[in-house]
Amino acid sequence: MGRGARLGIFSSLLAVAVGLVVFVSMAFLRSEPPTIDFAAGHTAGQPVDMTLQTVGAIGYGAHSTWVSYLTKAPNGKWVHTTLWDLPANTRINVTLYEYDGGSPLRNPQIGAVYGTLGNVEILNGKPVSLIDATQGNGVAHTFSVPTLGINVPLYAVDGNAKNFCNVPAPCPLSTAHNVIQFSFVTPKAAGQYPWQCFVPCGLGYLYGNGGPMQTISYMDGFLKVVS
Amino acid sequence: MAISMHESVDLGRPGETPPPGAAKRRSPWLGQHMGTALIAAAGGFALGHWAGNAIAGNYENVAGSGQNNVATVLALSFGVLGWLIGSGALNYPLAKLVGKEPAPEIEEVGWGRYFRFTLDHKVVGMQYIIAVLLFLFTGGLLAMAIRTELLSPTTHYFGPGTYIAVVSEHGTVMMMMATSVITGPIAGWLIPLMIGSRRMAFPRVEAFSFWMFTAGYLVILTALPFGGFPTGWTGYAPLQTQAAGGMDSYLVGFAVVGIGMITAGFNIIATIINYRAPGMTWSRLPIFIWSLLAVASLLALATPTLVTGGLFGILDRTAQTAFFVNEHGGSSFLWENLFWFFGHPEVYIMALPGFGIVGEILPVFTGKPLFGYRVGAAGMLGVALLSFFVWQHHLFQSGINPDMRPLFMLTTELISIPTGFIYLTGMGTLWKAKIRFEVPMLFALALYFNFLIGGITGVFLSDVPVNVTVHGSFFVLAHFHYTIMGGLIFAFFGGLYYWLPKMTGKTLNKTLSLVHFWMMFIFFNLTFFPLFIVGLLGQPRRVFEYAQRLQGLNDFSSISAYLLGASFLVFTANFAWSLWIDPKPAPANPWGSRGLEWQTPTPVPFNNFERIPVILADPYHYGEENPLPVADLGVPVGAGVGSGGSGGSGPSGISGTTLIEGGPGDV
Repeated sequence: MGRGARLGIFSSLLAVAVGLVVFVSMAFLRSEPPTIDFAAGHTAGQPVDMTLQTVGAIGYGAHSTWVSYLTKAPNGKWVHTTLWDLPANTRINVTLYEYDGGSPLRNPQIGAVYGTLGNVEILNGKPVSLIDATQGNGVAHTFSVPTLGINVPLYAVDGNAKNFCNVPAPCPLSTAHNVIQFSFVTPKAAGQYPWQCFVPCGLGYLYGNGGPMQTISYMDGFLKVVS
Repeated sequence: MAISMHESVDLGRPGETPPPGAAKRRSPWLGQHMGTALIAAAGGFALGHWAGNAIAGNYENVAGSGQNNVATVLALSFGVLGWLIGSGALNYPLAKLVGKEPAPEIEEVGWGRYFRFTLDHKVVGMQYIIAVLLFLFTGGLLAMAIRTELLSPTTHYFGPGTYIAVVSEHGTVMMMMATSVITGPIAGWLIPLMIGSRRMAFPRVEAFSFWMFTAGYLVILTALPFGGFPTGWTGYAPLQTQAAGGMDSYLVGFAVVGIGMITAGFNIIATIINYRAPGMTWSRLPIFIWSLLAVASLLALATPTLVTGGLFGILDRTAQTAFFVNEHGGSSFLWENLFWFFGHPEVYIMALPGFGIVGEILPVFTGKPLFGYRVGAAGMLGVALLSFFVWQHHLFQSGINPDMRPLFMLTTELISIPTGFIYLTGMGTLWKAKIRFEVPMLFALALYFNFLIGGITGVFLSDVPVNVTVHGSFFVLAHFHYTIMGGLIFAFFGGLYYWLPKMTGKTLNKTLSLVHFWMMFIFFNLTFFPLFIVGLLGQPRRVFEYAQRLQGLNDFSSISAYLLGASFLVFTANFAWSLWIDPKPAPANPWGSRGLEWQTPTPVPFNNFERIPVILADPYHYGEENPLPVADLGVPVGAGVGSGGSGGSGPSGISGTTLIEGGPGDV
């Protein structure tokens, strides 16, 4: 085999290796759920309305038993994602339908509402600044953005309710749920701000911290703030 | 000393007619090879996965989480078993098991032997070289991914889960590779040649170590498709117990590589103790062999705790035991102790062979005897011994009884004394020397420069107040990259440039070699030195976000890292160009070394030596007017040499070969 042929083989192998690396990097490691764009067409000074829901089990896919958040896209369709493009320095009005059962909190501090406008959430029409998780159905999840100092506990539904949601997500309004509303203001600086649930809710995992608690599109995600 | 003066009973000789019943020389693509190993591994993986689902599919925790660790562990374990069976690694014990006498092995020739289970330590050494380079490039690409993510504190290339998975994979791949980067390829190739033996004590065990090493590589690669693992290379519980399926790959992979390390360690010890040629007294043993003896002791004694700890972790994740689960009577602190009882000796498993290599290189290129040879050898053994008494300095911030901190601070600082012995051996050799700045020597000098920075920051880190301040920061990261990459990897490349002409009979392109060295040296320092600063300023490891004010230094480090990565592409191009595309024959002894390995023909015969040599002197009598010959090889002057002639005088006028007839009585 001549030098040119060897050079050709080596170059080809190198090209295949580089292609493989690019493929793995772009197609596998960077694969992520879709991002819902709430910033497109936004008028400065106007608030953005966002609708979410939390379910006890997503009901389909590779992790059908995992607890999860869902997001309602501007076209009205529910999407299994926790990534949102949001305009900077804008009031975000969130309406959240909570369909999961709950428990007392290991850390009662997580039951406090802070970082929202007025440091309150509206639970089924009533303003609340603290949820005592030892009472009633307990707390199911939280919506927490540590870097923005936001924490919103989500009061749980009765896990033994006859109309408890047992169908694949999204859950219909005819099943047991609580409605939680709150508002917050996005930061002026563009960037990606992680948010997550602080209630260990990974069923089947030690301490409940595995699985959905560590996976984007289930119980954590990003506020992708754009200027 | 037990010395075999005869051919080993099952290693044939080139050109000989195989004895009745011996295996016939086969086409490289028939029989068992890496391809059949891959097929058998895939079959084993599928079988294990099916069995795991059949066994544990209905377990409550599996049904609740949707994650079946039993299936993952069985799939990986059966996959490894298939890999070994498919490669032929188990042919011999399986034949013995059923009462059959296995056919003797004969010498394999051609490219095909590099893809087979083979008993020739030189072929295994070359297999190891390619394998560790594959490890190194895989880990390096993951490092590029890390530095890409850290280009910006707020705009992210990866999600946080993917980022920590990439960091963990990088750390584990690199540490797995680093344990064997010298003890596998360079040591496996050189030990018999440097001590005057025809083979390793246990050739099958050596080959087994290699196939376990590559199995470990495949296993750890499965971690990312299984969801990665969030613990870094240390695998701390309780994260370990609750992590995704990639954690199973980590535990199984480290156990597989660990078994390979243990077997390699015992094999190296047995070979060095029992297979030295007549006259190869302890005081004539090359310093590289001393370093390997120290390292092999660590491999044999420290690695079992890692394998055992990994087994405990696997049981916790599959059989619901509670070795590391605090609430159920176990202790997550136990893992930290088991891991670091291996993990800190592991640091010296990586460092010592590097110093052994530069200990061989320095005398050749300074034309001086190795300064303080006995002190250097004692330093290596001292480091190996003390390394078992320092592991808790990794736990200063992780649950150790505070009253124990001063003790481990003291033992850690003590280890700088034998390390200093080794360092001064190099400095003394360099003192007032007329240095030949050839490429291997440049790498050796770079090791001393880099390790000085890594070593001094290590002394700081051993002090509790500093440790508490910078624990978990990029300062620690920069420190251990300076010692491991700045030390071990520079030594590895120095060793490759030094011995590849012997191993391959080919000359590496000098211009490309120099470009590789200078790029690697400059951009290594530009990549990692800024990380000391960002660490002191508070940037934590393993976190994909950091303070905005640190972006400039991080970007500088990232761009330097890309250029550091490019230096390895230069090496790859040089390797392919010089050894395959446009090969040029190398002189028999291009550096003028007195080492015994350089006295053999090139290519080195299957059995290394026509007759077991008699060693007459240590190999470091450089600069002497009439140095004692190193060995009596028992063949006439000029006979038995291959391409390039007998070696003759090196560039410094040193007598490179000692083909003087003599007998044991002359010793």
